[in-house]
Amino acid sequence: MSTATTDTLPHSPDHGLVAEKSALGLTRPDHSKSFWVDWLTTVDHKKIGIMYGAAALFFFVVGGIEALIIRAQLAVPENDLISAQLYNQLFTMHGTTMIFLAVMPLSAAFFNYLVPLQIGARDVAFPRLNSFSLWTFMAGAIVLNASWFFQVMQYMGSEAFNLKSGTVTLTDIVPAVGWFGYAPLSSELYSGIGGDFWIISLQILGVASIAASLNFIVTIINMRAPGMKMMRMPVFTWMTLVTAFLIILAFPAITIALAELMFDRNFGTNFFRVSQGGQPILWQHLFWVFGHPEVYILILPAMGIVSEILPTFSRKPLFGYPIVIFSGAVIGFLGFAVWSHHMFTTGLGKIATAAFSLLTMAIAVPTGVKIFNWIGTLWGGRIKLTAPMIFALGFVWMFMMGGFSGIMHSSAPADAQQQDSYFVVAHFHYVLIGGSVLALIGGIYFWLPKVYGKMWTGALSNWVAGTIVVGLNITFFPMHFLGLLGMPRRTHTYLAVNEWGAMNMVCTIGAFILAMGILLFLIDIYLCVTKGKPAGNDPWDGRTLEWAISSPPKHYNFAAVPKIPARDCWFAHKYGSAKQKIGWQKEDHGIHMPSQSWWPLFASCGFLILGIAFPIKHAGVPYMGWLAILGLTILVFGIIMWSLEGPGGYHLHPEEEDGEDSKPAPTGSGAPVSEEVHR
Amino acid sequence: MSDAAALSNSHDDHGHGHGHIDHTATSTGIENKKLIMWLFLASDCMFFGTLISTHLIYRKVYPDGPVDPTVVFNIPLTSFSTFILLMSSFLMALAVSAMHKGELKSFRNNVLGVVFFGIIFLTCQVFEFTEFVYGKHDADGNLVWEGFTLSTGTFGSTFFVLTGTHGTHVAIGVLWLIGLYFYSFTGRMEHDIHGSAMDVEVAGLYWHFVDIVWIVIFTAIYLVEFINFT
Amino acid sequence: MSEVSALLPENIKSENKKYHAFINLGLFLAVLTGIEIVVIFFPWNPWLIFWVLAILSIIKFVCVITWFMHLVYDKLLLTLIFMTGMILATGTVTALMLLFSFDDVDVEAVEILELGVLTLRPLLAL
Repeated sequence: MSTATTDTLPHSPDHGLVAEKSALGLTRPDHSKSFWVDWLTTVDHKKIGIMYGAAALFFFVVGGIEALIIRAQLAVPENDLISAQLYNQLFTMHGTTMIFLAVMPLSAAFFNYLVPLQIGARDVAFPRLNSFSLWTFMAGAIVLNASWFFQVMQYMGSEAFNLKSGTVTLTDIVPAVGWFGYAPLSSELYSGIGGDFWIISLQILGVASIAASLNFIVTIINMRAPGMKMMRMPVFTWMTLVTAFLIILAFPAITIALAELMFDRNFGTNFFRVSQGGQPILWQHLFWVFGHPEVYILILPAMGIVSEILPTFSRKPLFGYPIVIFSGAVIGFLGFAVWSHHMFTTGLGKIATAAFSLLTMAIAVPTGVKIFNWIGTLWGGRIKLTAPMIFALGFVWMFMMGGFSGIMHSSAPADAQQQDSYFVVAHFHYVLIGGSVLALIGGIYFWLPKVYGKMWTGALSNWVAGTIVVGLNITFFPMHFLGLLGMPRRTHTYLAVNEWGAMNMVCTIGAFILAMGILLFLIDIYLCVTKGKPAGNDPWDGRTLEWAISSPPKHYNFAAVPKIPARDCWFAHKYGSAKQKIGWQKEDHGIHMPSQSWWPLFASCGFLILGIAFPIKHAGVPYMGWLAILGLTILVFGIIMWSLEGPGGYHLHPEEEDGEDSKPAPTGSGAPVSEEVHR
Repeated sequence: MSDAAALSNSHDDHGHGHGHIDHTATSTGIENKKLIMWLFLASDCMFFGTLISTHLIYRKVYPDGPVDPTVVFNIPLTSFSTFILLMSSFLMALAVSAMHKGELKSFRNNVLGVVFFGIIFLTCQVFEFTEFVYGKHDADGNLVWEGFTLSTGTFGSTFFVLTGTHGTHVAIGVLWLIGLYFYSFTGRMEHDIHGSAMDVEVAGLYWHFVDIVWIVIFTAIYLVEFINFT
Repeated sequence: MSEVSALLPENIKSENKKYHAFINLGLFLAVLTGIEIVVIFFPWNPWLIFWVLAILSIIKFVCVITWFMHLVYDKLLLTLIFMTGMILATGTVTALMLLFSFDDVDVEAVEILELGVLTLRPLLAL
């Protein structure tokens, strides 16, 4: 059976396997003993997911520090802790970082780790493309934050970094144009090379997102295990599918908007140049055609996570599964029709304003349907208040509060008062922190035991939840009032005579409490990973397929292909009738694993070089144009080599029997695997 | 389920020795590469849609700008290049068909034809752009109309960026097809006709899409200007 | 080669049928383009010319995606996916054009609305 002839063999599952040569004649980096080579060339969706998650948490802290400085500046009226310019840079970077470098990659971490496991696949449809998405994301993240590096160097007086923007005396290297970059403020006349850093990093991040989303749609549609019909998939996978569609259809709009702005800034076009006929309102339209679907991109994965956690800890199936999925799809679709609700005060005219107002109100309906279904799931269930459950419940309540202020915005006359005030800041932080972040943290509490095989230590999670929710409310609830009292957004200070000082002080204190909560969370993660007890396959008595395999899963995921008989298949397998047992089909030729590759990483380095060279060129540094071209060449060369090397692959023969996956794995190393390189 | 031999993920290095091809079956029976290309094309619709919107909006808002399209547009030249692109699309369909039948020679001839026509299209574009930038002069060297560039009002910006982006798409397609042409000589395509046919089909989808975008551009940007709405 | 001989005769027959379809389609598209170029110079109502061009373009568009791009021979899912992108793009372009169509938004847009009401009123009376 499973322990034959294994005592003399080392425990690496790939032991004895020799890396093959690719179609290019170069040796593929498979079965590497080096940690660095293994992780840099990996195409394993699980490792990629972990890297996305680690990067996201890092940038979450970066964005958080940027926010704390903002709040420190605003704590008292007429403060001069930081300059107005630095303030603008901080809120720009805080927004851009939180959206593109924290929440989206954290969602991507979940997509990457969970989707193949939940549909019974071994990896995504295009493993090397997945790797490319990861490294391109890293390149974009580094490019954006490289601006801080250059600005600090210049501030410290380094001669080498004495960058001056071509036509402007301003030398702001870090973008200060807001995360929405409204033209013509973001043109080269009014902003330094920060604008270029912002544009190019967003373009690079866009490529990463679109590539990943294309991959996930194909994976979800095409790579499901036998019997895993679309209507048997977990809701999280469905929401991933909808989000991926939103990404591929919404990002092109911002790609074009950014390209037009880039042409204006660097090549003398007049898309947004008022003196030559450019219309700044066009920027707003194009940006928000992307921007609105973007906020649904931020919330739908979180809703998917909550839709997994609530049923698990209510010991009930999700109430109204088809309706929840349909609502998610409707939210996604309608999300493309409401963008001008960000522009109610721009003078669109009565008819357009009314139309967008009505459509925005309509979007509340499927959202409300989801909330009722979640409540329906809890109703009558045997509730278990575990750490993930507390966060999921917190999500339902906090996201609803954000939704209420959103409904208030949807009425255009009311919005006329609220627009560009702190009321909006309150609204979106409730839906983003109270919504996305709480759900994502809950997701980490839920799935980290699966990822690392270790259980959470102690009850720190209660403190994390409490501190974050309390911090969130103390920080952002007063902002509703501040907004209605007239405090405008994006201003680095305010006059004492307005009497907003007391509430601002409260908000700042709340922000530091919130930060404390995040710190406790990071400590909790550290404790879990280092001191946690073994979690076993299924510590939460889960419902979906990922709980059927070991924690952490083997790198091939499933020893045999699962045959799925029902929705919530793992729960049905454990507690359902004999007909609902998952079948396991071993593959005759063994498990086919994709080969690892250097080329996606290599190609992404091209983006990194291009991303840094391009803005610096605009500052007048010599030879940067050539460097940018070099970056582009590296990118293209990498892609060509990638397509020529061929996907490769090798075979593994795990020694577990069918169905043995369903038993808790022995603690320690994974079951040994006999090797057979099957070419 | 679909039969194992018929599907996705061609693995070149599985062709020799055991003779079996390790294709993973897909849940829908559609090849992964084909599905991803169609998804990309759906995305590209939004991409070009946004660019075309920008152009049309500025034409609506400034119908009488510094450039009069009915004067500068060379309809015979653009019609010729439109025909060329349509014909290249036709040859591409033949190339895909040839690959599906395993007829490599026919494939090579057709693909070369597509590349050739694609280059003619690009040449026409370059010629058109050059004329636009330098302006039109008559036989005596007198100026008939002034040239315009990216910086000339909104028309110059939107026209050149839109058609330039399309031209870049065509150029990428040409390079891709040249790559496929040379790859067909390496002997690797014969090992996995089905997989190679899928690669060619995917390139073909991209090429046809670039053609249909041009159909839209030709109508909405060129022809529509000649309708007198006033 | 074993893989070539593995191609079934039906496969080759279906490809040959497609070949004839492609030739016919190529000619048809060329003719339609010719018609378009000629029509713009006809002395017709400008809106009629516009709609003729639009419809001919749509026909060319549909022909290329259906036959050259194989959608008619493939699974419906691919058509649905592409149509999603296409419809969204068309909707966005239309919405943007409408948003920029009026100089004095409140006056002109309301006029059009009133026109719509005036047209509907006799219908409602029936």
